[in-house]
Amino acid sequence: MSTATAIDDANRQGESAPVAPITTGHRDPILAVGKICAWATLIICLLPIPVVFAVSTTRSWREGFWAGGFTLDWLVQGWERISGNFSYSLQIAAIVLVLNVAIGYPAAWLLARRRFPGRQVAMAITTMPIAIPGIALALGLILSYPTLRPGGYLLVAGHLLYTAPFFIGTLTPALADGRVRDVEQVAMTLGAGAFRRWLTVTVPQTRTALLAATIMVLTLSLGEFNVSFFLFTPVEQPLPVELYSSYITNRLEIAAASTMWFLALVVPAAVVLELAGGTKVGQA
Amino acid sequence: MPSSRHTSPPVRGFVRPPSMLWGLPLLIMVSCLLLWPLGVIAVRSMRSDDGFTLGRYGDVLTSSNYLESFLITSVLAIGSTVIALLLCVPAALYLERTRTRTSRAISVGLTIPLSLPGIVIGFFVILLFGTTGLFPVTADQLFGSPIGQIAYTFTGLLIGYLYFNIPRVILVVRGAVAQVSTESIDAARTLGASAAHVYARVVLPALRPAVASASALSLATAFGAFGTAATLSRGYRVVPLDIAASFTERFDPQLAATLSVLLALITTGILVGVNKLGEAKRA
Repeated sequence: MSTATAIDDANRQGESAPVAPITTGHRDPILAVGKICAWATLIICLLPIPVVFAVSTTRSWREGFWAGGFTLDWLVQGWERISGNFSYSLQIAAIVLVLNVAIGYPAAWLLARRRFPGRQVAMAITTMPIAIPGIALALGLILSYPTLRPGGYLLVAGHLLYTAPFFIGTLTPALADGRVRDVEQVAMTLGAGAFRRWLTVTVPQTRTALLAATIMVLTLSLGEFNVSFFLFTPVEQPLPVELYSSYITNRLEIAAASTMWFLALVVPAAVVLELAGGTKVGQA
Repeated sequence: MPSSRHTSPPVRGFVRPPSMLWGLPLLIMVSCLLLWPLGVIAVRSMRSDDGFTLGRYGDVLTSSNYLESFLITSVLAIGSTVIALLLCVPAALYLERTRTRTSRAISVGLTIPLSLPGIVIGFFVILLFGTTGLFPVTADQLFGSPIGQIAYTFTGLLIGYLYFNIPRVILVVRGAVAQVSTESIDAARTLGASAAHVYARVVLPALRPAVASASALSLATAFGAFGTAATLSRGYRVVPLDIAASFTERFDPQLAATLSVLLALITTGILVGVNKLGEAKRA
């Protein structure tokens, strides 16, 4: 250990400009192993997606790939089954996003812009909903407020509780950025008022984080199952709850078709999120 | 001293720090939706007809059924974490040290599973290894026997858990690899160290805090995972499934609350404890 640290320190002292790696993936066995592992993990992670597509467009999957021919019937049937749940989930996600902006944005602003006693504790409590299993959060909500369940209020509350840490966690570092605050300072010395500074400086300067936080909240809410399982109302079911019952009861092709619609929305969002550099991890 | 120095430009004032009131909405939300409900769970788990009891904890911790659930959950969590670490630490090293267009694309692809709910991951396992899954169907056509129908077995659950842990470990370790100096690895190689030696003496020690926090995240996620187990479990009970069953099937909220408190203690304990382990002063 001490050897490595010594080499490390020695390197830092002599470091002036970033040096291109001398070794390549083919020569260095460490990177050669890494390359195999990287491709293996990628295949594990992505293989299921084309399979979902293949199953949802095969007339009779039991007999193999596109047995009985290519068909869009399952996708149409799948859409008919889930379209109601889809729009219900989108509504929930939109309400949850608005609540996140109303509650989380001011809090992120405070956490980013002011040092106060108890700030660390506040940050820790803010991230708590990620540490506690969703099913336990949901149980707590339903035992505390059983009368609020019928209107779907508890579902919104559960989603808000679960998404707020991601919303706040994505925005706080962006709002704390010294360069953003410097530009605000300049705007102030030029006479811009508080609202104008926020609208014309802060918002454009932090737009990537805002985009990432928005996508994060929408996709987490659309896919949320652990909290929703206890909290949904019998009248309307969020998308993942309908997908779950489809997995348990429907034939494979229809279940795959419903899943395909969900993936068509979430996978592009995930790619945009990663390109915006805002990927964070939630519960499974 | 030059005379011009004391005529500094007039300062128009600084942006004032925000009022503490900005935190009030979040404080109210967290109190009502998190702290109060957690208190309610704790109280319900310890309430009896004539006051206070720890009896339910005693019952759960001596019941062979629930101990088995905790054991199965632990084996799944630890097994999937270990396999994920073995695959993802080298993968993260490769992705972060070779910044080619390919490795960037692989990195993007590896974050996709983070947006997928546990039930969809369970369904993926069914599609690949279920009764009419990809592998059994293909094997049936090639060899005349449906090999690989393992979706609803322990192995199937393990694959599902591995699936959601891979991107988590990659993300955490990738961030840390960016901090390891390439030169120390190259120096060790130049000095004649074997690949295994470089891993043991240079790479892993430097990545130790990241490996610890990746393990903590992966273990805590696996302990709390509900959707994947709900989709795949036929016989194998994990703790989150027990919580759901005791509430929705056995109508015993007190028991569900007891199990929830234990599970939340485990996940929080892992997140705090294992992270501490990584930060501990290195020998």
